[in-house]
Amino acid sequence: MAECEEEVEVLVQRVVKDITSAFKKNPSIDEIGVIPCPEARYNRSPIVLVENKLGVESWCVKFLLPYVHNKLLLYRQRKHWLDREALVDITCTVLLLNPDFTTAWNVRKELLQSGVLNPEKDLYLGQLALTKFPKSPETWIHRRWVLQHVLAQLAAVGSSRKHQQSGEGEQVDADRRQELSDHLARTLHQEMKVCSDAACRYPSNYNAWSHRIWVLQHMARGNAKVFHDELSSMRLWVSMHVSDHSGFHYRQFLLKELIHELSQSAGEEDLTGEGEGEERQLSFITVLQLFHQEMELISDLIRSFPGHETLWSHRRHVFFLWQQWRRDQKLSNGGELAQGDVWGGESVNGQSHSDAMEVERVCLPDPRDSKRLKRGVHLPAPPSLPSEYTFVSSVLDSCCPADQRRFAMSYKKWLDTVIVQEP
Amino acid sequence: MKLYSLSIHHKGATKANLLKAAYDLSSFSFFQRSSVQEFMTFTSALIVERTSQGSRASVKEQEYLCHVYVRNDNLSAVVVADTEYPQRVCFTLLDKVLEEFSRQVDSIEWPSGSPETINYKALDIHLSKYQNPREADAMTKVQAELDETKIILHNTMESLLERGEKLDDLVAKSEHLGNQSKAFYKTARKQNSCCEIM
Repeated sequence: MAECEEEVEVLVQRVVKDITSAFKKNPSIDEIGVIPCPEARYNRSPIVLVENKLGVESWCVKFLLPYVHNKLLLYRQRKHWLDREALVDITCTVLLLNPDFTTAWNVRKELLQSGVLNPEKDLYLGQLALTKFPKSPETWIHRRWVLQHVLAQLAAVGSSRKHQQSGEGEQVDADRRQELSDHLARTLHQEMKVCSDAACRYPSNYNAWSHRIWVLQHMARGNAKVFHDELSSMRLWVSMHVSDHSGFHYRQFLLKELIHELSQSAGEEDLTGEGEGEERQLSFITVLQLFHQEMELISDLIRSFPGHETLWSHRRHVFFLWQQWRRDQKLSNGGELAQGDVWGGESVNGQSHSDAMEVERVCLPDPRDSKRLKRGVHLPAPPSLPSEYTFVSSVLDSCCPADQRRFAMSYKKWLDTVIVQEP
Repeated sequence: MKLYSLSIHHKGATKANLLKAAYDLSSFSFFQRSSVQEFMTFTSALIVERTSQGSRASVKEQEYLCHVYVRNDNLSAVVVADTEYPQRVCFTLLDKVLEEFSRQVDSIEWPSGSPETINYKALDIHLSKYQNPREADAMTKVQAELDETKIILHNTMESLLERGEKLDDLVAKSEHLGNQSKAFYKTARKQNSCCEIM
């Protein structure tokens, strides 16, 4: 057993070397882990590489971690010099064992800034650390720093091309912009995957989902298609994780953003005075469809999986969002209902509006929207207070377990006390 | 919403005899899988041993929920699920698997058979299919015979044990657990980490 200073030094050097060569041997390593192994087997490396999985035997961690941790601190205090390569290897080792060691990430930030380290390497390291520590706050924080760094670089390259000469330069310009946009799309896609994996590894992984939201806010601003795609691709996931509160919160975020986007484009049309209100009509219908689909999804899940508070909470959020949007619509039309708003107020019996409704005006197909709308298209029934009461009654009437009953009653109380009071 | 293991045992006079098992460990980290599998086998066998003939029970342990059905003929099945997976569907699965198994494997083999000698191949497919409870179409089945009030609910593994019995001792004595798993359990226990049983 390595216990004295020298032996630990030898062990550490060996481990750092083995980890570095493991990555060289297999650049597709996709997971790290600790192997439960209480005792060292004589002269065998504690680093194990099986397929694409990198393991560290548990016996060596108690020697390894304090040693490399200390070494890095000494470097920071300028008591001990480490060259760039050693820094890269040591920080890599330390972060795979304890990714919440902020100092190690900060050393890597410096290496990145001085151009010695490729940002892709840090994204990869972070991804690996998250396979074992899916919540690690420092890993997510560092990841955002790296992404901002990458985005700034892409933006710099993009703008430096503005001062190109004409002719051939323009083609190169267009190609370069396409390349950058592809790079951005790939990075975005990669981040979605990392968040998704981390969300699967730990229930209600708030850090992973917040990161996901951050990425969309910074890398997909105004891109409605991305939000639409995320909403549809997440349907199955949330259906299989019905108590993952953060997952459903993500859906609420997507809805809010989409509604905001759609209202923006409708608003722009109003401002310019051009067009015949097609944009507004289209956005109206799209929003209606979004709400309808979300309510259908949540109703289905509530019935299939009784007793999950998360589902009822999501229903509240969606219905509340709906109420807000309706109120905003009324306000922006000067308190009167828009021409397309065919369903009137709360006084109408919810039952009669379960039939399809027709759009009064023709919608010309918009090249940006793949759905083609024709005259007389049938709109889904919008959410309404009466239909919510109907839903709660149907749940209470069915044979439901105690939890489900309790949640249904709470929801009803919320409708009675909060929603009914809304103007 | 996940199912981790599905196993069939014969409840003997003093212990449970494992006949067949299927596992889905894909959600566990790679290097933990063999230990996790062993612990699931250990837990399933223990639950069968401590559940009376002709009864159904659900045993909660941390973020897992183990559902067991011990038939009157002592043929038993255990499914280890998470807490999201609907309980009703689990019991449908257990009934179905036991029914099929008893048709395909002669009862003379139950007391002394082992996973190597028993010829029943459908367990993996059932486990895989039931990962999505709605696709398995189990939710539309009306379980007329299943009275949910008769399912015993245990809030911890400890409640299955006799007075004075310790889980640590059972772990140490178990033939389902390898040395590495036993050592892992000891250190996990000491650190009070999240892998106490599995």
